Amino acid sequence: MEVTFKDVSLSYDGSREILHHLNFTIPEGTLVSILGPSGCGKSTTLMMISGLLAPTSGKIFFGDKDVTKQDALARKVGMVFQNYALYPHLTVLENIMFPLKMAKVKKPERKKRALELAKLVHVEDQINKKPGALSGGQQQRVAIARALAKEPSLLLLDEPLSNLDARLRIEMREEIRRIQQETGVTTIFVTHDQDEALHISDHIMVLNNGDMQQFSSAETLYDNPSNLFVAKFIGEPVINTLEISDFQGELDQHVPADILKNAVSVGIRPEALQDHDSGSDTIATIETTVKEFEKYGREKNAQLDFHGKKLLTTEIENNLEKDQKLTLYLQKSGFYLFDQDGKRIFGGDQDAK
Amino acid sequence: MKVKIAMVLRYVILILGGIIMLMPFLWMLSTSLKTQPETVKIPPIWIPKQLQFSNYIDAFKAAPFAQYFLNSVFVTTVTTVGQLFTSILAAFAFSRLNFYGKNIIFVIFLGTMMVPVEMLIIPNFVTLSKLHLVNTYAALIVPWLASFFTVFTLRQNFQSVPDQLYYAAKIDGASDWHYLWHVLVPISKSTITAVTVLQVIGSWNSFMWPLIVTNSENLRTLPVGLQAFTGDAGTNYAQLMAASTFVILPMVILYLFLQKYIIAGISKTGLKG
Ligand SMILES: Nc1ncnc2c1ncn2[C@@H]1O[C@H](COP(=O)(O)OP(=O)(O)OP(=O)(O)O)[C@@H](O)[C@H]1O
Ligand SMILES: [Mg+2]
Repeated sequence: MEVTFKDVSLSYDGSREILHHLNFTIPEGTLVSILGPSGCGKSTTLMMISGLLAPTSGKIFFGDKDVTKQDALARKVGMVFQNYALYPHLTVLENIMFPLKMAKVKKPERKKRALELAKLVHVEDQINKKPGALSGGQQQRVAIARALAKEPSLLLLDEPLSNLDARLRIEMREEIRRIQQETGVTTIFVTHDQDEALHISDHIMVLNNGDMQQFSSAETLYDNPSNLFVAKFIGEPVINTLEISDFQGELDQHVPADILKNAVSVGIRPEALQDHDSGSDTIATIETTVKEFEKYGREKNAQLDFHGKKLLTTEIENNLEKDQKLTLYLQKSGFYLFDQDGKRIFGGDQDAK
Repeated sequence: MKVKIAMVLRYVILILGGIIMLMPFLWMLSTSLKTQPETVKIPPIWIPKQLQFSNYIDAFKAAPFAQYFLNSVFVTTVTTVGQLFTSILAAFAFSRLNFYGKNIIFVIFLGTMMVPVEMLIIPNFVTLSKLHLVNTYAALIVPWLASFFTVFTLRQNFQSVPDQLYYAAKIDGASDWHYLWHVLVPISKSTITAVTVLQVIGSWNSFMWPLIVTNSENLRTLPVGLQAFTGDAGTNYAQLMAASTFVILPMVILYLFLQKYIIAGISKTGLKG
């Protein structure tokens, strides 16, 4: 089901606004991640979609239908909570059957559907255990099965992987992707882990301080960050950021003067600093001093000093010595200028959203 | 070595405490098997020369104890079930719902916990007599259908249940009512058992109130019925103790079976009964 927010704001206590004028549409059948630092309002957004929380102002649509006034009972979405929230006194099978019981599905049918779901999420051998006797990964899968039981047209997941160890996380995110594709259910996945978001989703919504920063594909977020926050938030290792005043004329010939005049911050991805000229993509050269050089396996990283500021690059071909002078070729893809509000005004594709 | 001494000391203190607690019960048991002269003998004796089991039979004949027993069972059951029902609803409201004046009402109720039960006897009696309920079963039951101690204990427990469980139930299509009875109550089992047992014991042992609000023999509960052994000519201690043993026996059995829940339930809320 398509979900649309029209100018939605929320305040818990009536004085401090947590979410500011959110506008977005989540297309039917896609998997969308909501990504942002802790406390930015991800869970709150999800609670509003589910109907557990009513927006202070604005409207929410499911398809064409205005559901702003409907509560969670009426909206019929499936939801997996951060700590799973399984019913501790019921067995795995009873947990999965619970929403069906509420929907007054007959007992034999209920059981059959629950068993199918247990199979889908690979917990069919655990159905008679209580949640307390399951591992984190199993609990999470039971929670997903329970959320899918009433065949919701919308599945909401609130940081479902945050309690799992690194390996299980990777396994489970593939699992969620598989289940989503098998069932075709529109899924909204909350996370503060960019890696998770980049791997699992069709589209990513980046949220910060209750403001939507950008809503686009993973690739667009990386190649065309709409502002400094997104540029810094997405990418590993983190983008190099400098002040425009750190440059002493290196950019004058290469960036139009009217843009340069408004630029405040500079972002350079570590892979956009090369020690060799690649030709047409080079927009400028800068002179640096090598501070540190590390080499492990095929990877070569260098920490460089540029007019007293630190730069990191991952694109070194030759071995370097400490304190050696080095000319770097700045690549156009991966070089951005931002104005005083943090908006991108140069670099990437200016038309990309 | 130090640890061992501390350990031994701890057990000695616990055992001493246990003996002191048991003393009255042992005395009751011993007295119930004595002859009349033995009960008032000085210095007191612990073990009668000959065990007088006949005291038990005579005690039963002294008053219609079967009727008293049924009264006690009836009053205790209705009081406990009723009180539990009202308390669960109130505890849910205080822990989960938002309504105008919630905190003020809660504080006022909390204040009532400081009023000693004895102080409530007269106002309660006056109220009941105005309602023409004195000397009825209702008099024995109605004033105890709400207990803020139970509400408070349950509320503390309900509040420790994560919000997300409530939200999950909502998402799954459960109403507040269904969530309360099919999720919250089952997972609060140990606390509910604890307050139930405390209430059953309190209700079963209650003496003052039934004594005051009833005077017909057919409404008498067991503790009141024990008066049968105290007459103008003095008290028949042996038979009184035999009957007392019989009165407290069900509670002792109940406690032994459920002590695990009682201790868990009470220690969880940090409250004492
Ligand atoms: N029930 C509440 N009452 C008042 N303020 C709240 C409530 N729940 C959350 N907030 C506030 O709203 C803001 C957003 O919270 P939210 O839980 O949506 O963040 P989040 O992005 O999910 O963070 P996290 O990644 O830590 O889960 C925070 O500043 C938080 O303090
Ligand atoms: Mg959250």
